[in-house]
Amino acid sequence: MAETLFYVLAALALVFALGVVRARMPLFSVLSLLGSFFCLSGIYLLLGFPFLAATQLLVYAGAVMVLFLFVIMLLNLGDEAELERHAGLSLSGRRLAVAGASAALLGLVGLIASESAPAFAADAPPPAVALDDLDTLARLLFSRYMLPFEAASLLLLATMVGVLVLAKRQRSERAPSATGATTPAPSPAPEEIGAAR
Amino acid sequence: MSVPTEHVLALAAVLFGLGVVGFLVRKNVIIVLASIELMLNAANLVLLGASRHWAAAGTGQPTQGPIFALFVILVAAAEAAVGLALVIALYRLKQTVALEGVSQLKG
Repeated sequence: MAETLFYVLAALALVFALGVVRARMPLFSVLSLLGSFFCLSGIYLLLGFPFLAATQLLVYAGAVMVLFLFVIMLLNLGDEAELERHAGLSLSGRRLAVAGASAALLGLVGLIASESAPAFAADAPPPAVALDDLDTLARLLFSRYMLPFEAASLLLLATMVGVLVLAKRQRSERAPSATGATTPAPSPAPEEIGAAR
Repeated sequence: MSVPTEHVLALAAVLFGLGVVGFLVRKNVIIVLASIELMLNAANLVLLGASRHWAAAGTGQPTQGPIFALFVILVAAAEAAVGLALVIALYRLKQTVALEGVSQLKG
């Protein structure tokens, strides 16, 4: 039962991942990404990591996805035809993409070929308890992984400050936007950004 | 459940490959960022699959996988925030999100 669920979720995750790469509009791409996150969260749950499944839903499907959708709606990326017009793939880019895809495929073939390797011989029985037991995880985070944990909090602080600096409208930018008010197209976008901030 | 570890790793490999292709092929910055998120998720899947494998085998340190995955999720969230702020700044500068419109750093 759980096995078939795993394979169904895996197939769905692959379909959604394909949707991320192939979607013409960024909105559909991001919504496919959301579906992929949901499927992966189910897979984490099946693998025996309920806390990480919940974290995946909260952080990815909650926060990151809202951020993506927010930016797409904010920037009003409707004129996709204009973007697609010069979105042709350059030759070097195509070569790189083929190289990357074939490398991933080679790794996949290697994995399947190594099926008889002794490291993967053990057939995993169902985990008796959650592998990411919150008690154990919290003890480890505050003892052994104390330094990475604090570094992570610093990273979050730096991100917060950096994002504020990046997204803030600069003083020098205000003057051209005020004088360029006669041009209809670009002026609403910074206003919206400023208002939503 | 007894899904073999190889199948988990194979799923992660294919997801990562799709992410790489999306990252290299697409020209829309937002889709490129989504592909990066896809790759980070594949890495998380590898960590958790390996953790489950070592827990079943009774060797190694199975708690390292979830902790690493937690840090990966954290860094991915930070990366998405900075990346999308850059997209907003880029759009304000160029009125586009096509990567081909941004070539000032090309020598």
